[in-house]
Amino acid sequence: MTSFPQLLGILGRRVLWLFFTLWAVFSISFLLMVSSPGGPFLGERKLPDEIRRSMAEYYDLDGTMSERYFKSLAKAFTFRFGPSTKLKDYTVNRVIAEGFPVSAALGVIALTLALAVGMTAGIIAAVKRNTFFDFAFMGLATIGIAIPNFVLAGFTIILFCFVLKWFPPAGWGSVKQIVLPAVCVAAPYAAYIARLTRTGMLEVLNLDFVRTAYAKGLSPRTVIVRHALRGAIMPVVSYIGPAAAGILTGSLVIERIFNVPGMGSHFIDAAMQRDYPLVTGIIMVYTLLLFTMNTLVDLSYAIIDPRVKLE
Amino acid sequence: MPISFRKAFPYLIVAIQLAAVAWAVSMRPLPPADFTFDNGTECQTLDPAKATGNPENRVINGLFEGLLRQLPPKELKGPHENTPLTAEPAMAESFDVSADGKTYTFHIRKDAVWSDGSPVTADDFEFSWKRMLHPESASQYTYQLFYVKGAQAFSQKKMEGGTPIEIELTDRPQRYQTYPSGTMKHAVLKEILKHPEPEYPKGISPDEKTELESDWKKSWTYVVDLDGQTAAFSQEPDEAIKFEGKPPQACLTVMTDWKKTVGITAKDEKTLVVELNNSTPFFPELVAFYPLYPVNRRCVEKYGSPEFTQPGKLVSNGPFTLELRQLRDRIRLKKNEKYWRAETVKLKNIDALALRDETTALNMYLTGQLDWATTMPAAMIPQLKRELKDEFPSAPMLTVYFYRLNTNRPGLGDKRIRQALNLAIDKKKICDFVTKAGEVPAATYVPPGMAGYESPPGFEFDPERAKKLLAEAGFPGGRGMPHLEILYNDSPVLHRTIAETIQQSWREHLGIDVQLGGLEWGVYLDAQDKMDYYICRAGWIADYPDPNTFLDMFVTGGLQNMTGWGNKEYDTLIDAAGKEADPPKRMKILKDAEAIFLDEMPIIPMYFYVSKNLVKPHVKGFCNDVQDLHPLNTLEIDRELKAKNVGAGK
Repeated sequence: MTSFPQLLGILGRRVLWLFFTLWAVFSISFLLMVSSPGGPFLGERKLPDEIRRSMAEYYDLDGTMSERYFKSLAKAFTFRFGPSTKLKDYTVNRVIAEGFPVSAALGVIALTLALAVGMTAGIIAAVKRNTFFDFAFMGLATIGIAIPNFVLAGFTIILFCFVLKWFPPAGWGSVKQIVLPAVCVAAPYAAYIARLTRTGMLEVLNLDFVRTAYAKGLSPRTVIVRHALRGAIMPVVSYIGPAAAGILTGSLVIERIFNVPGMGSHFIDAAMQRDYPLVTGIIMVYTLLLFTMNTLVDLSYAIIDPRVKLE
Repeated sequence: MPISFRKAFPYLIVAIQLAAVAWAVSMRPLPPADFTFDNGTECQTLDPAKATGNPENRVINGLFEGLLRQLPPKELKGPHENTPLTAEPAMAESFDVSADGKTYTFHIRKDAVWSDGSPVTADDFEFSWKRMLHPESASQYTYQLFYVKGAQAFSQKKMEGGTPIEIELTDRPQRYQTYPSGTMKHAVLKEILKHPEPEYPKGISPDEKTELESDWKKSWTYVVDLDGQTAAFSQEPDEAIKFEGKPPQACLTVMTDWKKTVGITAKDEKTLVVELNNSTPFFPELVAFYPLYPVNRRCVEKYGSPEFTQPGKLVSNGPFTLELRQLRDRIRLKKNEKYWRAETVKLKNIDALALRDETTALNMYLTGQLDWATTMPAAMIPQLKRELKDEFPSAPMLTVYFYRLNTNRPGLGDKRIRQALNLAIDKKKICDFVTKAGEVPAATYVPPGMAGYESPPGFEFDPERAKKLLAEAGFPGGRGMPHLEILYNDSPVLHRTIAETIQQSWREHLGIDVQLGGLEWGVYLDAQDKMDYYICRAGWIADYPDPNTFLDMFVTGGLQNMTGWGNKEYDTLIDAAGKEADPPKRMKILKDAEAIFLDEMPIIPMYFYVSKNLVKPHVKGFCNDVQDLHPLNTLEIDRELKAKNVGAGK
């Protein structure tokens, strides 16, 4: 078990690693951006040289490559990315401040849905192993993993928007509008969680302490929820970190199909339009989020299972 | 760590998760707007001087109003045929034109006020146009004002000894905010001391060259006569040539004196006088074009740019005000009760949605979430035209799809080969089987529909003549033909399909094999910018309804030319058209220029676009126009019909 001072030490090291990771991700993405052809000021209508120059100065995209690198690095590490080159009325920080809560709201619902559905299906499949339920849930899970979510989005739109007319096909602002995108984002994660839970449960259900619990006359529900689940959940917990980061930062395709104004859609557009400050900003947020989620998962791992010792 | 915390941990996580879900669903939905439309994409900016593109045009036309405004006649035609839009008095109740056609005097109406209640004055226009012309504003449409005396020299800082100039000192409140500006000094330029121009390395990129050149210009020393004293200024005093043994004084900008050199003058509060270089018959159309709409000086100077465009801060003078803006979601406009003809505006509020996916737009239209859809999947068009005929108004537009030919490349420098390539394409086939929305095959370059203009006869599909021309050029049956490649942006997929059709056409009729190069948008623009291509696709939308908007881009070395082609006779004609005051004579000169252009064929016109809109039957006042504008202030909702839910999605 990890003591509190040890925990502080570990967190300190993690923070150092975070800075190193942010720097590495920043540098690689900077190199990729400057080496890709095109630029933020190109369009079907060509701009006069003087205007291009004014804009390059305004966006700090002038000077030598090393000057640009260090200017951009300073902005990235102070999290003040400056104005966006395409969304000219907005700073990058403001774009992120508007997009992140939307992605986060969608992500929270999707993650909750994925956990609730995935774990329930996994537990039932494990307990009723080799029955109809097991085959049905695991079959669905395989399909859930295999079907790309934009295909699933198409199906759900046809069924729920045009046939049943329960939900609107796109938009953001009401609970009704969250349901379909959340289901489509959650589906592959739910499927994966179901498989992980089933495997974990099967392992635990064969252990001695479970058999002892049954022998003591405890009800199956108590055995599963109180005893087996705590052990079976570990693979799911380790999966939640990257899954949560992935879901929270927005599902790029789903956001576009359902016109959800989250970060994912900003990221695609920014990359396509060579909006360098916005791309840098979103990449930094993604990195930070992924790192934080993984750290939180590691911590909760140590809390849930006393045998785990953080290093 | 106490064990109790470990036991409580799962419950804590569940509690946090539930709290997060409660936060996520705690939304306050907006009440629906009177009228909702798909604006195609997010507006890049709501600043009229900096905007480009149709989505911005629609919203800015709702928010602001120029001296004149493009409006349909009172008696609208049906939605399925084009209604001419004309530049009608708006902020200006009238204007006078001098006998030589070079001076316009606009009389601003007395009841014209901004949304904050302050009057719209001639100074607002002078300020806005000066701001637009200022190079640091980075307006992409500055050239629209280059017809005004002294405007181009002001914008491009062109000056010589004896020119009255204005110098901005370095005390500007914020470096990148042109307004409010720093202290302005007015002087007369005596001479400019320059270091020798740097030698630009071979193979340098256009951007790097511009940067070096700009750095060089910053080191110039401007020797001026300031209030009878000789003084020297420079943007980079440390790098500049010393004057009388001393480094020059630092300044931010040196430009020609606005008041003394530029023909835009607020004569009094309600009179704006504009002097042009030449009589420019389409000047009223330009004045009614959104980059020339005014911005509120106090608002710009108080909040700075672009902050002044935010809801709650933006002061506008059009039929609507900005109520709300949610990025990548919607812009909500609210009726401006202070607008001078507010009684004619029927919609209380409008939602302009930023939809990026055509299928999403169609789904929303079909389920009744949109009253007007401006985009739709190309594959669905034939079916939509058939099944929703009454809701699919479509009419020709002043927009052309064409292929640029890089005349510097082997083979393409020969006029006969360019003509042969054009003659061997069956453009009707492209319109009938590829684009399918009713586009018109283009035999000429300037689209039909310009009042008073008719293009010279163009070239129709003629594979036999194409073969002969190719043989005359030395490549009978396409044998020995130099390498050719068609470049296009690979999204949307339509460009690839068109390129494949043309590839097949040239193989079949000319015996030549061309390669296809599909590139991502940014890479494609870069290749076109550097002229690193053989043949590349392009499109051009009229800024104003006049052939000049299409023809003047192909003058020798023109910024938008990008073909390497140039013709002195053509240049002379375009220049002469700019100076011709008599409209019929002017149109004749432009027609002659287009005849040269079509004969020389540095581009291959493919087809003229048609507007594609889906409009619910309950929307009244919707009319087609050649620029696909559809002013929002003329629209109305038939509430009875809407309640009956007639149309698609019923």
